[in-house]
Amino acid sequence: MFRHNTLRYTALVLLAAGALFQAFTAEYFGLEILTEILILAMLVLALDIVAGFGGMVSLCHGALMGVGAYAYAILSTKAGIAPPVAMAGSIALTGAAAWVIGAIGSRSHGIYFIMATLAFGQMAYSYVFEAPIFGGDDGLGGISRLDLSVIGVDLNDSRSFALFCLAILGAVYGASVLILRSGLGRSLTGVMHNEQRMRALGLTVWRVKADVFGLSGMIAGLAGALAAQHIMYISPGLLSWTVSGEALVVVILGGLGTLVGPLIGAAAFVVLKHELSSVTTYWHLVVGAILIAVVMSRANGIFGWIESRWGGVFDRRLADATRKQEPEEALNDA
Amino acid sequence: MLETRNLDKSFGAVHVTRNVSLKLERGERRVILGPNGAGKTTLFNQLVGELTPDSGSVHLAGEDVTALPVAKRARRGLSRSYQKNTLFDGLTVEENLGLAAAVHTGNATQLWSDSLAKPEVREIVEEVAEQVNLMPFIHAKVSEISYGVRRQLEVGVALATRPLVLLMDEPTSGVGPEMSKGFHDLLNNLPRDLTMLIIEHDMDLAFDVADTITVLNYGEVVFDGLPDAARGSSLLKEIYLGSWEDA
Repeated sequence: MFRHNTLRYTALVLLAAGALFQAFTAEYFGLEILTEILILAMLVLALDIVAGFGGMVSLCHGALMGVGAYAYAILSTKAGIAPPVAMAGSIALTGAAAWVIGAIGSRSHGIYFIMATLAFGQMAYSYVFEAPIFGGDDGLGGISRLDLSVIGVDLNDSRSFALFCLAILGAVYGASVLILRSGLGRSLTGVMHNEQRMRALGLTVWRVKADVFGLSGMIAGLAGALAAQHIMYISPGLLSWTVSGEALVVVILGGLGTLVGPLIGAAAFVVLKHELSSVTTYWHLVVGAILIAVVMSRANGIFGWIESRWGGVFDRRLADATRKQEPEEALNDA
Repeated sequence: MLETRNLDKSFGAVHVTRNVSLKLERGERRVILGPNGAGKTTLFNQLVGELTPDSGSVHLAGEDVTALPVAKRARRGLSRSYQKNTLFDGLTVEENLGLAAAVHTGNATQLWSDSLAKPEVREIVEEVAEQVNLMPFIHAKVSEISYGVRRQLEVGVALATRPLVLLMDEPTSGVGPEMSKGFHDLLNNLPRDLTMLIIEHDMDLAFDVADTITVLNYGEVVFDGLPDAARGSSLLKEIYLGSWEDA
């Protein structure tokens, strides 16, 4: 089951402080990059829940984000539904789509599950690419952001939108922790450890997988709705399998099954992408080489490596401090 | 409580279960004996639904469960432990028991609360941990406890579903003589209304725990009766017990 430790709390505080510093000090371009990181972080949290804690490595999470983005765009622009309702609708629709994918895919494992999710993702991509309602290759534009003027917030301002996305990411992180610590999350952990035994205990395994995949899809849909509002334009490329592949790269780069790691991975990936692409058009080669190095190091991504080196030190010091304190407290009590 | 009628199973030309009919009364403790390859574990797999019999039926508390999948049979009260540990290695003893108890109490799919924090789950976890002597290890991870303690946990996880019928596949497999003696007490102290079907090679344990004994040979029931009768059975000595008595 997911647990926080001192190092994880420290990393979260540092990440939040860094994001807030960037949000309050950066200019337009820096804020755009920050928002890109925050939205990607939501997507990779969604992927980490299923892949890192359920063993369901998905290659359709990019498509699920795309479903959320298109659902929000269609509902808010063509259907004329109020943006908050459109956003809730897009999250619900993506969750439902993900639940169905999870329910069907739950009977397969490993490479077969990956291929099944890839197929679902590509089906969604092809449909969006061909169907006239989605604007084909041209995509859809004119997407509006939520109107929070009633509380004095203008989300058309880049800084406000970045802070809004940061707040949403915080809520998504909290929700992810609650999911993993719930009865459903514990069962998911059990299924990943030993599916046969969980079934022998009486658990309906496919239902657990489908439910968690649906919840993960809701987070991906939320990321999609925010991505659509961020760029205010969407195209079928958002559903491409390469988006799912990149999300998987980010999760592995950051640290699979740690929740904190993918956040670090998202920041590292987006910053690397922007910094390297300004130097060379072959930036993918560098990212690829880094990924290979991370995988070959046998550490669980950047955060896994940090945890393996310093995680014990943090908690040992804490334990030592607690032990030292106990005799003193006992003497004081006496 | 548990009944099989003419259960039959083949893998190609190998006939592993031959027309097996068993009937266990509520609270009965039956030990299944038989040499390696006699079809004991295959029979278990058919009872719990991990294998589908070619013909015949399985009845639990009067209900025909032959067509039911594993999870549904488990929810109706059929629980098993495995010959090889099938525990959740990265989790603690408490969490292992909690997973099983959460399924039994309907908390395994709850989204709004931690199943292990539920009073009804904690009650089962603590009760089972006491029953199988796991309280000293309750917060230890499975990877941190000895093999023998893991065998106790293997039984504990099956018990935490509060089964009507508990199937145990060689619960003392691989444990030393001292710990094996501990298993005598452990099994004898389980609630008397719990029906148990046990595959066991440890003859001392088998005769100590069993109310009745069934002997399988080449997938066929060759003896079904009381322990005393089993001890005196020449057929049994010939196919299985000879080496034990000689020893």
